[in-house]
Amino acid sequence: MMAEDSMDFDAIVVGSGITGGWAAKELTEAGLKVLMIERGRKIEHQADYVTEMKMPWDMPFRGAGDRALYAKDFSVQMLNRHFNEFTQNHFVNDRENPFTTPEGEAFNWFRSYQLGGRSLTWGRQSYRWSDYDFDANRRDGHGTDWPIRYADVARWYDKVEDFIGVAGMAEGLPQLPDGRFLPPFELNVVEKAAREKIKARWPERVVTSGRVANLTQAKEAEGRGQCQSRSICARGCSYGAYFSTQSSTLPAAMKTGRLTVLTDAVVEAIEHDPKTGRATGVRYLDSGKGTRGTARAKLVFLNAGAFNSVHVLLNSATDAMPNGLANASGVLGTHIMDHANTLSAIALMPGFEDHTTFGNRPNGAIIPRYRNLDVMDGVGHTRGYSYQGGALQSGWTRGKREAGIGADFKKKLREVGDWRMVFVAFAECLPRAENRLTLNRKVKDANGLPVLDISLNFGKEERAALAQAKADAAEMLTHAGGKVIMGFDQPGVAGTAIHEMGGARMGNDPKTSVLNKWSQAHDVPNLFVTDGAQMSSSACQNPSLTYMALTARACDAAVSMLREGKL
Amino acid sequence: MTTVSNLETDRRRFLAGATLFALVTGVSLPLTACNEAADNPRHRALADMASTIVIPRTDTAGAAETGVGAFVVLGLAHGLEESRKPVEESAPALKAHLRADGSLDQMAWLAAELDKRAGGDVMKLAPARQQALIAALDAEAYAEGVRAHPWRTIKALILTGYYTSEAGASKELKYEHVPGRWDPDVPLKLGDRSFSSDWTAVEFG
Repeated sequence: MMAEDSMDFDAIVVGSGITGGWAAKELTEAGLKVLMIERGRKIEHQADYVTEMKMPWDMPFRGAGDRALYAKDFSVQMLNRHFNEFTQNHFVNDRENPFTTPEGEAFNWFRSYQLGGRSLTWGRQSYRWSDYDFDANRRDGHGTDWPIRYADVARWYDKVEDFIGVAGMAEGLPQLPDGRFLPPFELNVVEKAAREKIKARWPERVVTSGRVANLTQAKEAEGRGQCQSRSICARGCSYGAYFSTQSSTLPAAMKTGRLTVLTDAVVEAIEHDPKTGRATGVRYLDSGKGTRGTARAKLVFLNAGAFNSVHVLLNSATDAMPNGLANASGVLGTHIMDHANTLSAIALMPGFEDHTTFGNRPNGAIIPRYRNLDVMDGVGHTRGYSYQGGALQSGWTRGKREAGIGADFKKKLREVGDWRMVFVAFAECLPRAENRLTLNRKVKDANGLPVLDISLNFGKEERAALAQAKADAAEMLTHAGGKVIMGFDQPGVAGTAIHEMGGARMGNDPKTSVLNKWSQAHDVPNLFVTDGAQMSSSACQNPSLTYMALTARACDAAVSMLREGKL
Repeated sequence: MTTVSNLETDRRRFLAGATLFALVTGVSLPLTACNEAADNPRHRALADMASTIVIPRTDTAGAAETGVGAFVVLGLAHGLEESRKPVEESAPALKAHLRADGSLDQMAWLAAELDKRAGGDVMKLAPARQQALIAALDAEAYAEGVRAHPWRTIKALILTGYYTSEAGASKELKYEHVPGRWDPDVPLKLGDRSFSSDWTAVEFG
């Protein structure tokens, strides 16, 4: 591993997750010599997916994991639905990677510090944002107006979808623009019936297949196989059937011969020359050797994951810039968001007892936003909510809740149980100044750096949205023939949606935003932040596809500026 | 980069790698944090007895043959099914069996409870009598209005142990690690076996 002082590159990409991989690919393909620097260990595609082919009976805790260990070392990560005994090696150890929240608050920060980052463990939901989203802040006055609109991003969505592969159904909805889709994972028999019944009564409410970055057709040119419908993606997929850095962007970047990958290297700060106003590179700690190094480049892309990118900028403070790098505005760290998220309804769905499914679909059904579009019909809120969920049949685990022993009980559990349908709401989170990241100088991490303090609380608008989402979900499932058995309207702990974003928001005005419309720091022209930190609003659909599109767009702009001598 | 046509070869290579990994890292049952129960042969025998009454041998293996008793003991010690959660309101019958961390030692409780009902050593009773005692316990644990019950915790681990064992998962039920396709609508007949590899059902069902 190279760790000598003063390596020189055209560009440094900090982080190797969903956006870091894209930045590495785009910049190397444009001819730049790039260093991608990753704080975690190397995970090699295929060879390092060590649990992928394990059966439950191969595992000491049969897949459920050692809960005593989890309580000690993975107290937050264990709450992630993709975290289990097969995938625990793809998540951070919470004890070794501390952060704080203010007294009486909580935040669930799901993290994967490794080559590929959370691209290995993500939910793969891939949605375009629309002008209802990019115009949201201007329309109701919360936050700052986005400096871009859908037309600025559309062709970058095309490019990203073409490369990563997104399965989905075209629906022609203006609030959730169609993409360049592979064939969808079809709705199951119960979802199809619900779709028809709900559409007949509420034409604007569309039950459709989740748009997901799993290949329903192989991408032979990229060496990626078709999805095998295992739905154990977070173990790592040797078929390369879902988008990850390893399966997709990293091989493309490596193919150029211009990418250097440095793992186990924690970026402590971005170095900055006050004379030129430019970033000069990064200072990092080699966590294996305990040595420090620097790397220099003409261009720095910060892709450490929304909150960690802000953390790096805050940690890059100097005497000349005591509030952090690229923070002349003072808004760095503010206006952070996550979707307010709860199980709105679960219903038994009788009438399909002679139907089942085969295979494990790696996605579910969704209902895109339908409130506060052209008619402001939200009760107590001005933004949107959407649902993810679907219909499923219970299996043997239902026996845990039922009385019974012996041969009859065993015989009963041999068969599938009832069909049920669930809707989980994702409500848009308003950007608020008081929801913010700060450095906690009283608590240091293992490398001696002050940890991040995260304060993110939902307000009355998000709660109002979830209340309406609960009522709507019950109404829809009842109308579809279901019998609602429970539902909630209180948001889970912030962070639960794993859509934490903001903190280095985009805007037109350098006095009130960190980044301009090219994801470029207003204060530091050769610094780009293209992960979730750049987001000025949260929409109510999953953001990763937008991060990727904005990354590809920013890379294109940065390379042009570099060539024109503007950086 | 691997091409699609190489995937089967690669898959075999990974399987070989996985086996090697298992040998090197040891996928044997860890023994930390489970001192009280793992080395208690009576608890182990009791867990085998109880699990076989819940899941007896039929045309497929029963619980004891698939090592469920050992798994139950291990799982209880390691906090599966929230077994290491401190007991909130401890009835006198539970209080006698708390661990140092305030959680219930479920196997010690089960042994005492069954011995009490047996009027002696439950392991010396005839199988039919043991079955009647477990049946009564099960009925009480799932009676209307009962929110939590130590037997529910034990039974949950019996079911997990059985349906994730090779015989339970792939003989009693069906197991398909690589389905290869998604079919959204398949006819279902009475008596069809469900898939233990339906992870959505395992997680949310």
